[in-house]
Amino acid sequence: MMPNYKLKYFNFRGRAELARLVFAVAEVEYEDIRFAVEDWPKIKPTTPFGQAPVLEVDGKPLAQSSAIARYLGKEYGLAGKTNWEQAQVDMIMDTMEDILTPMRAIHFCKDEQQKAELQKKYQEETLPNYLKGLETFLCGNNGGDGYFVGSELTLADLTFMHYTGQVEVFVPNPLAKFPKLQALRERVEELPKIAAWIAKRPKTLR
Amino acid sequence: MAPKYKLVYYDSKGRGELARLLFAAAEVEYEDYRFKEEDWPKLKGDTPFGQVPVLEVDGKPLAQSNAIARYLAREFGLAGKTAWDQAQVDMIVETMQDMGNPVIPIWLCKNEEEKAKLTKTYEEETLPRFMEEIQKILVANNEGKGFLVGDTMTLADLALFASIDWFAVAAKDPLGKFPKLQEFKDRIASCPKIAAWLEKRPKTEF
Repeated sequence: MMPNYKLKYFNFRGRAELARLVFAVAEVEYEDIRFAVEDWPKIKPTTPFGQAPVLEVDGKPLAQSSAIARYLGKEYGLAGKTNWEQAQVDMIMDTMEDILTPMRAIHFCKDEQQKAELQKKYQEETLPNYLKGLETFLCGNNGGDGYFVGSELTLADLTFMHYTGQVEVFVPNPLAKFPKLQALRERVEELPKIAAWIAKRPKTLR
Repeated sequence: MAPKYKLVYYDSKGRGELARLLFAAAEVEYEDYRFKEEDWPKLKGDTPFGQVPVLEVDGKPLAQSNAIARYLAREFGLAGKTAWDQAQVDMIVETMQDMGNPVIPIWLCKNEEEKAKLTKTYEEETLPRFMEEIQKILVANNEGKGFLVGDTMTLADLALFASIDWFAVAAKDPLGKFPKLQEFKDRIASCPKIAAWLEKRPKTEF
C-alpha cells in the first residue's frame, strides 16, 4: 500500500523542490504543505532539528532535504542502479550543494563592498570552475548528450536542474559558457512530467 | 576480487577521517594516501572538482566526502538495514554538515571581537541546539545504550564520532552538557576495531 506522504516546507521551491520533483517524476501523490513564514515559530519545535523541509512518511518524520531526496529517489528508482552509480549521483548532488552554499553566504553578507568582491570572485572563478568539472563529468557519459550517470534520469540531473535555477536567482545566465550543461538543463525541464509540474507549481521567487 | 581502494587527502583528519573510520570498522585494506600541502597545486587538477578527499576504486575516482562515506558504508553493510534506517542515517550525516559549517568561518575570522561573538553563538546556541536533538535520537533508541540507528554500528555513529573532533576546533567541550553523547563517544572509541585505528593513526592537529 502506498505510504502517506506529507512534505512540509515554506512556500518556496528552495530545499523542498527536489523532493517535489521526485514525486512528479514518479507520479506519486503527496501532501505539498506550504506554511507561511509567520507560522514557522510554531512549527519549528515539532521538527527533528528545528529545520524544514520535513517529510512525514506514514507520520514518521525525516529531516534534511538531501536525505529526503535520496530516500524518495531510492524508493522510486532515481537514485542510480548500482552502488557505484549511486555514489556518482551522490557526488553530483553534493557538488551542487557546494556550488550553492557560497552564494547564500554572499547573499547574507552585510558589508556592501565585501559582498561585491565576493560575488565577483564567485561569478568569475568559483562557479565556472565547478561548472567546468560538471561539464567534463557529463561529457564522460555518452558524450554529454544524455544524463550525468547511467542511461536514465537520476537525482543527479534533477538536482543539477533545480540548483541551477537557485543559482540563477543570484547570477544571471550561469550556464552561458557550458553548452552541454545548458542542453542537459533544457532536456530535463522538457521531460513531460517535469514540464507539467513546472507549469502547475506555485510561482515563487526562489 | 576485492577492489583496490586509495583514499587521497591531506595529512589530517578533517573530511578524510570518516572514510578511514569506515575502512577500520570494516577491516578493509586501503591505501591511506596523505599528501603534503605543497603538493596540492599539482594534485588539484587531477581531482574531479578540484577538491579532496577523493576515493579511487580500482582507479576510478569518487569525490565528495559524504558520497565516499555513503558508498563505503553501503559496500560494508554499515549504511542501515532498511530503506528507512538508511534515510535516518543519512539525515544524521547531513545534520553533521549543518553542525560543522560554522567552524571554518570562525577559524578564519581575523577580527578578535567578531570571532569571540561567533564562537559564543556556536558554543552556546547553535551546537547545543543540535546536540540536544541528537541526544534525544540516541536515547530513543535502546535507551541510549547502543547506537544512533538500529541495533548495530552504522555510518551515523561514525559520522558523529568523527564530527565531534571537528566541532571542537571552534567550540570547547562540545559534549559538556550531553552525558549520553559523551558515553556514546567513549563507547565507539573503545570498539576494538575503532580503538585499534585510533591508536595507530597519525596524530594530527585537525
